Amino acid sequence: MDKVTLQVFANHARAAAENMAYTLYRTAHSTFVKETEDFTIQILDPAGQVSAVPMDLGATWYVGLNYGPAIGMIPDYRPGDIGATNDPYSGFLATHAPDLHMWKPIFWEDQIVAFASGHIHNTDMGGAVPASLSRTLTEIHQEGVRIPPLKMYREGALNEEALRIMLLNVRKPEQNLGDLKAFVGALNTGERKVLAMVKKFGLEGFRAGQAGLLDYAEHQAREILRSIPDGDYFFCDYTDEDSAGGNPCRLALTLRIQGDSATLDFTGTDPQLTSALNVPTGGAARHTLLLVGVYYVLYTLNPQILLNAGLVRPFTCIAPEGTVLNPTFPAAVGMRSLTCARLRSLIFGAFSLAIPDRMPAAPAGTSSIMNVRTVDNRTRETVLAAINPVVGGAGGMPHRDGTNGSGADGAYLKNTPIEITETEVPIQFLRYGLMPDSGGAGQHRGGLASVLEFKVFSPNTHITARNRDRCRFRPWGTLGGHSGKPSDFLLNPGTDREKKLGNTDITSMDPGDVLHIHSPGGGGRGSPLKRDVALVLQDVRRGYVSVNAAAADYGVIIRDGAVDEAATAARRAELRAGETERHFFFGPERDAFERVWSRDVYAAMTTVIASLPVHWRFFLKSRLFEMVPAIAQETRACPVTEAVSRLRLRYPEMFTAG
Amino acid sequence: MGWRIGVDIGGTFIDFCALDEKTRQMHTLKVLTTPDEPGREVMEGIALLQQRHGMDPAEVTSFVHGTTVGINTVIQRKGADLALITNAGFEDVIELARLRMPEMYSLFCARPEQLIPRDRIFGVAGRILADGSEAEALDEQAVANALELARARGARGVIIAFLHAYRNQAQEQAAKAVVQRLAPDLFVFCAAEIWPVIREYERTTTAILNGYVFPRVDGYLHSLEQALRGRGVTAPPMITKSNGGMMNIAMGRSSCVSMLLSGTASGVMGASFLTRQAGVPNALTLDIGGTSADVALIIEGRAQFGTGELIGEFPLYVPSVSVTSIGDGGGSIATVDGFGMLKVGPESAGSVPGPACYGRGGDRATITDAMAVCGFLGHAPLAYRSVTMERGKAEAVVGALARKLGRGLHETAEAIIMVSISSMFAEVNKLVARYGVDLGDFTLVPFGGAGPMMGCLLARELGIRRVMVPRRPGVVSALGGLVAEVKNDFIRTMFIELRAEGLAALQAALAALRAEAERWLRPDQNFAGVAALQVSADMRYRGQSFEIETVLEEAWIEGGDLDAIRAAFHARHTAIYAFADEAAPVQLVNLRLVIAGATEPPDFAVQEKVAGTPRPERLVDVWHDGALHRMPLFLRENLRHGHEFSGPAVVAQEDSTVCIPAGYAGTVDAHGNLHLAAEG
Repeated sequence: MDKVTLQVFANHARAAAENMAYTLYRTAHSTFVKETEDFTIQILDPAGQVSAVPMDLGATWYVGLNYGPAIGMIPDYRPGDIGATNDPYSGFLATHAPDLHMWKPIFWEDQIVAFASGHIHNTDMGGAVPASLSRTLTEIHQEGVRIPPLKMYREGALNEEALRIMLLNVRKPEQNLGDLKAFVGALNTGERKVLAMVKKFGLEGFRAGQAGLLDYAEHQAREILRSIPDGDYFFCDYTDEDSAGGNPCRLALTLRIQGDSATLDFTGTDPQLTSALNVPTGGAARHTLLLVGVYYVLYTLNPQILLNAGLVRPFTCIAPEGTVLNPTFPAAVGMRSLTCARLRSLIFGAFSLAIPDRMPAAPAGTSSIMNVRTVDNRTRETVLAAINPVVGGAGGMPHRDGTNGSGADGAYLKNTPIEITETEVPIQFLRYGLMPDSGGAGQHRGGLASVLEFKVFSPNTHITARNRDRCRFRPWGTLGGHSGKPSDFLLNPGTDREKKLGNTDITSMDPGDVLHIHSPGGGGRGSPLKRDVALVLQDVRRGYVSVNAAAADYGVIIRDGAVDEAATAARRAELRAGETERHFFFGPERDAFERVWSRDVYAAMTTVIASLPVHWRFFLKSRLFEMVPAIAQETRACPVTEAVSRLRLRYPEMFTAG
Repeated sequence: MGWRIGVDIGGTFIDFCALDEKTRQMHTLKVLTTPDEPGREVMEGIALLQQRHGMDPAEVTSFVHGTTVGINTVIQRKGADLALITNAGFEDVIELARLRMPEMYSLFCARPEQLIPRDRIFGVAGRILADGSEAEALDEQAVANALELARARGARGVIIAFLHAYRNQAQEQAAKAVVQRLAPDLFVFCAAEIWPVIREYERTTTAILNGYVFPRVDGYLHSLEQALRGRGVTAPPMITKSNGGMMNIAMGRSSCVSMLLSGTASGVMGASFLTRQAGVPNALTLDIGGTSADVALIIEGRAQFGTGELIGEFPLYVPSVSVTSIGDGGGSIATVDGFGMLKVGPESAGSVPGPACYGRGGDRATITDAMAVCGFLGHAPLAYRSVTMERGKAEAVVGALARKLGRGLHETAEAIIMVSISSMFAEVNKLVARYGVDLGDFTLVPFGGAGPMMGCLLARELGIRRVMVPRRPGVVSALGGLVAEVKNDFIRTMFIELRAEGLAALQAALAALRAEAERWLRPDQNFAGVAALQVSADMRYRGQSFEIETVLEEAWIEGGDLDAIRAAFHARHTAIYAFADEAAPVQLVNLRLVIAGATEPPDFAVQEKVAGTPRPERLVDVWHDGALHRMPLFLRENLRHGHEFSGPAVVAQEDSTVCIPAGYAGTVDAHGNLHLAAEG
């Protein structure tokens, strides 16, 4: 297809996808679709590869999702069929049980020319806990009813039996049903729009156009990769906890750029977890969850990029089996969103090493989704409501400060007005805004964290905060910029009843209790000593930076609202003498952690763990975390080797199993 | 009997529509804008109307003016330095906005720099709760301290916005009194006075826009009033509003925010007048100028209203005619990327330097250049003779792209048009999906300088079979002023469950709104004619996070017929979302009232009907659908009521050019509108 027709085709394909998305958005019932926009829409080629997505509606994750394996699990298709699954282990299409994916083959005469597809996040899919998500769950069976790939519609007729099984198992059947109908409406819209395109461009033209779109995206991705120096770039990042109250979980990546292609080798990533924080990918070479960070990088480097599966062609991922990024059945995966956030910052970090001039510092890297259940003292009704997501700032950018209070890979989230929440839910907000001194200091400061404080008035008020992380390991700064401040979660701050909740994700409150939560701040970029003094003064006047932090981090001395030039020069000279040339600034917690868990020590652990059968791995990791810090104090030899030899005596089965 | 004048200011031109009620003739005029001296062009236009058409200023019975001075103040960031006084702990409400950002795939996504920097935002103690009760008294000393700092930091005006003030304005009013007492030189606006609706970000940002543009708008309107009086125009000038209506100057000077989108709104109102006159119920209006392309829906004769329209980078939450931007107009620039893909926009040559063919220094190919190369343009003087077409320049810039693409010159020009049409197609499609309408029942109404040039091509892409080109596409917005009603919106946040317990409050709110509206229309606007009231409510099912406006009958509220109200909501919900949840509890969030004082519809002379085909001026060669066609060129003034002809053809007129592809048949109606219908 010639390039002019291809551009016209691209616009029509986008229009078809956006038409579907707006139809779904307009007709869906649940808040997940309406408010959080937790849904996606795609047009697929006959092989199940994404050829077009909407640009301004829905979530950002499934640009490169491969429907092929799941499509292939249904033997034959006829016009009017709609396939569906929510099982994370059937073709690695759905990535946790609440996500119901559906696809409709689009026939032109007797051939499938495309599929209309997408997913919606159902409020509840059944299982052990309401909303089906908790990091404490340990196997997929606890996370809700699982539907293997099957026909939800057969030649236009609803598969009542399958539907009844699903609805019987979920807590809000009417919402699931409403969303399902809206979803089917969107798929039918997609079918109509695609058929109109076949009519306009002809069958051959349509096929050539779909192929052309993927080729074009591939070309754009390769063009970007060519602009990145060849080399191996190793980076690792950690979530604070691998289970409730657990040890850190390391994700590791060697990004290998070779000409116009790249390999993402995740070897060195922790073993799969006995919690719901695993990321189900099946180890596919181009699984979309492994590449979400890459979409952000590519789009940031070229905002004209076409978003479809062509983008992922130049990339090959290696995610060893039995790790948190490629768990084996029946590992629980419901809370993979927490790990996915870290996976994105892992990728941003590796690209920052490859192209430091063009990449920002780390974004906050976690967004706590807050829910409350309380009783209204006047009506005595129980009220269940979502409160604002607590989102952090973006990392300092090459050309400006990080965006405050959200941004980067958290920019899709919406908040709810204070006035609406206070009208509907018997709580009172005391504060909602930006957290001073939370952005990493830098020539370009990290975006500030957001902070939320509220008071409740009923006993046994129940709070959940999903995706709690980064209370310990901070969003990193780059090129001399400091790390952002960590997140925190406190009950009754500043009183004698203060309780530090940290990464806890469930708590209860009594009447008069105040809850404080703030997100992490974004990392800073470039030395704060290079920041324009006037901008530091402005930050102080705006309340973004305190007078003390201006002196301590930026070396800018402010007295009575004005800069003391002489004192500033002296302070900056003093600070400059202590600066080191490190690419990353991780903050004291990670520095301390890595003094024990150095790259070599971690590699030793990874090697021994990888040699064990999957069901021993998390166990061994947990034991090593108990033992290694103490052993490291005693010996200069590798503490992992020493610890393993002790464990060999205690658990001889471990090394003979499998 | 006198003269009625509608005036609209655009980016390059200011347009006049003057109806001579004696002859029932409409005269139109375009004058170049004088950005450095806003208002001077209005006087120039009045002088021209006197000279050319013998208009006596004393005979002007109505003068309705739409101005861009407000919106330009925001876009150019030339507004007032403001301070914001708000609740302590909530100073960042305007920066956080609603969190979500449009460019969600970019790590560099950011919100615009705020109109009030954070160091002029002051939190003070004091708190009203959701039920309107006071939890903490206002700290008036803190207000005084904030004022001192605000002044030291250069503030010229103050915005006061407190949580839940839509329920209880006492603290806002108390803070305002402090400002007026201690700083009488600073102007002050309270957010709940500007638009008393629930949702703190939306209400605050609307009040900030009002204050930001206030000094300029106030100054402009004041000098306009003086100048008109000096010219002998005694009729009180009226200002068009974003809601498609109008208001007097006194109101405009304080309620600046309600005029910010008057230009685009007037265009839709003008088009809706014309479609009504022509008996067209459903229309998609397409307004393309040099720098913008906007569409709007007219459904069953009514323009659609909404909130959250963008003023520059900031959303505005007073009711406005819903208009959607679908591109950047005739000045959009075409480029070829590394893969050989042809892109059109988002870069635009704007009105300066403009398309290459205007010969004003533009050196990159635009849509207008492509139209010139194809031969659609350049047969008659453009834009009231203010532009001379240099086709050679268009050929040079389009030729450069043709070499990159390895295509012929004409093929490249047509490719630019196709690509830009397909991108407008994608944008219109979103709008259609959002409203859930079927464009098969719609007529495309193109206007603006470049609308008629692209209209048929876009209609063809969208599957729209009927196009109506107004007689004077260049002045539809000015016409909108001529037909505007004296109109204002009132709102009261209720947030009640639709149950018997809430009825008394609802009835009281309706009575209060009606009294407020009557006061606005009669004494304030000095209006004596027939007024219409429309009551509506923003409602939702409990648990939903957005409301749907549903039109209600006053009698339902007065008579306590909650079932009728509920049924109306279910029906509206079904119309928009394709389902209703009859079992779910319904909440009424806001009660609304619109009052509109009717304006006598202008009575335009009707043309006598003739038969046959119009006489072409000459035949012209136009590249179109992949081949060179010889087609007739008609001058618009020669097209008479009853004339019929078939495409392909070009119709040239002084404010626009109509491009008609093959397969369209044209007829002219009694008001000179050109109706084009797809054949077969």
